[in-house]
Amino acid sequence: MTFLPFAHALLAREDLPLPAWLFAWGASIVLIVSFFALSAGWRTPKFEDESWRSLGAGWSRLLLGPPAQALCGLAGLFLLGVTVYAGLRGTEAPDRNFAITFVFVTVWLGFPALSVIFGNVFRPFNPWRAIGRAVGGGFAAIAGQRPVHVSYPEALGRWPAAIGLLAFVWLEIVYSAGGGVAVGVSPHTTAIAALVYSGYTLAMMALFGVEKWCERGEVFAVYFGMFSRLGSFGVRDGRLGVRRPLSAATGWATVPGSAAVVIASIATTSFDGAQEGAFQNAIETVFDWLVDAGFGLTAALRVTDTIFLVLCFAAVALVYLVGVRGMETVRGAPPLRKLRSGFAHTLIPIAFAYLFAHYFSLVVFQEQAQFTYLLSDPLGTATTDLFGTASGGIDFGILSANAIWYVQVGALVAGHVAALTLAHDRATAYWGDYRQAARSQYWMLAVMIAFTCFGLYLLSVANA
Amino acid sequence: MERVLRSNTTRIALGVAAVVLAVVLFVLLKDDGGDNDTSGSGSSGAKTVAGTRAKPAKPQVPVIAIGGGKPVGGVAELSYSAGERIRFKVRSDVADEIHVHGYDLTKDVEAGGTVGFDFAATIEGVFEAELEDRGEQILELRVNP
Repeated sequence: MTFLPFAHALLAREDLPLPAWLFAWGASIVLIVSFFALSAGWRTPKFEDESWRSLGAGWSRLLLGPPAQALCGLAGLFLLGVTVYAGLRGTEAPDRNFAITFVFVTVWLGFPALSVIFGNVFRPFNPWRAIGRAVGGGFAAIAGQRPVHVSYPEALGRWPAAIGLLAFVWLEIVYSAGGGVAVGVSPHTTAIAALVYSGYTLAMMALFGVEKWCERGEVFAVYFGMFSRLGSFGVRDGRLGVRRPLSAATGWATVPGSAAVVIASIATTSFDGAQEGAFQNAIETVFDWLVDAGFGLTAALRVTDTIFLVLCFAAVALVYLVGVRGMETVRGAPPLRKLRSGFAHTLIPIAFAYLFAHYFSLVVFQEQAQFTYLLSDPLGTATTDLFGTASGGIDFGILSANAIWYVQVGALVAGHVAALTLAHDRATAYWGDYRQAARSQYWMLAVMIAFTCFGLYLLSVANA
Repeated sequence: MERVLRSNTTRIALGVAAVVLAVVLFVLLKDDGGDNDTSGSGSSGAKTVAGTRAKPAKPQVPVIAIGGGKPVGGVAELSYSAGERIRFKVRSDVADEIHVHGYDLTKDVEAGGTVGFDFAATIEGVFEAELEDRGEQILELRVNP
């Protein structure tokens, strides 16, 4: 067998596989919860209405007013600048360069969690939105009229964001895996990608309008915005308020392509988890075929990983669509189109649980680096010690293997419960007859159990 | 009234069935887990020295041989339980620096030389040891709880 240069970019400590007994516990709890959900369901929808109430004008002014917006926008822009600068001028060692950890851990994995807890906090920090608004404002002041935009083709929906999400993870995991030695995506590549993405995003914003593109096509805004729908804090008509948790998710998937975004999220996390365990042999087999067929090592690896990433997306989509088809067979079902988009939001908690379970330890370890040596020495060249923390390091002993395992199982079970809750609630809204609603949920139950148990399985064979 | 009664009975029956199923599953699989645990540590490391846990009278220190800048016979695997001493040697035909990630230990080795590592397994998880300059992984180190 040819040696596969798997990229373990950042992490010096990887998680031990979930032990069999805990896998069994997790799966059992999932089954019990699912049976309980079948028997103890409520009969009228409880989450379709957000029960949103304002937190008061003071909070809204403070957190949403122009000064806060400008400050956050500048901060976001500054951090984008630091990322690009560090990527271009800093060390090529990914673990010592600010750009890598900041983009792929702090932002990409941090904001989903922050969004669930605090609401859509990425929005004010979004550097491209900040630029777009500043330029739009400047244009209006000079020209005396607001910029005119092309109307966005609504049929495209959130598809640009879904494809962008796949592209981001492709760059992070697939493209960089060709690096040969045990390094991930290089800081230089990250900086170039950030510049290219900035150009593309600003062009789209100029074309379709800043807020429109943030709602439909800007990968980070759409992706983090999706997770913010799970939480309690939300903005309505420019006012900050609290709402019933999970309730805002129910209105999220009405835009076309939304299902693709959440499916892409589950698929990419699955792929990342599976490549270090479940798929390892299959990946090596296909890789060997391609090498035998005359591909170079790097090309063979990229093609192989691309195939498996696409397969993951197809498989996750297939499981969901089978569930939707199943529900369609239940008497009184709404049309397939409506069902297909109508249950997409129920996968958001699963996507979040996958992220949490797979990357919890990575974030805990890597944020120690982010706030010590990467902050004081962002270029990784040992030339600066901005905050006196350049000599800091990561304490890998901070989490025991057991702690990581329990968090992983806990996250998957909690995500499962939230997903079942949303699905059951939506069914009671779609089917007037409670019996039929419950019957339709056998299908979604099977879908959720499949995802959750697959998640547990991935953890149990990762690094095994 | 009758309908309510029936649905309650169904619920209880479903609940009981679920619990029984879960308990049966747990008992069955927990045994398997235990077996895996013991057999796992015994058979770990295909060609490196097994039985680090068994502690024989004269514990053998595994030697990882480096030939042509690569580990002979592929990446070595060593498995320990937390709290044990981790001991291994690296015999290399090339000069390089050996870096044990996570524990962040480094030692230089000369061409044709041998260096030994001896440290306590304090951090659980899966770790790599590399020939740092070549970026070549030579060892996968496992510390189980």
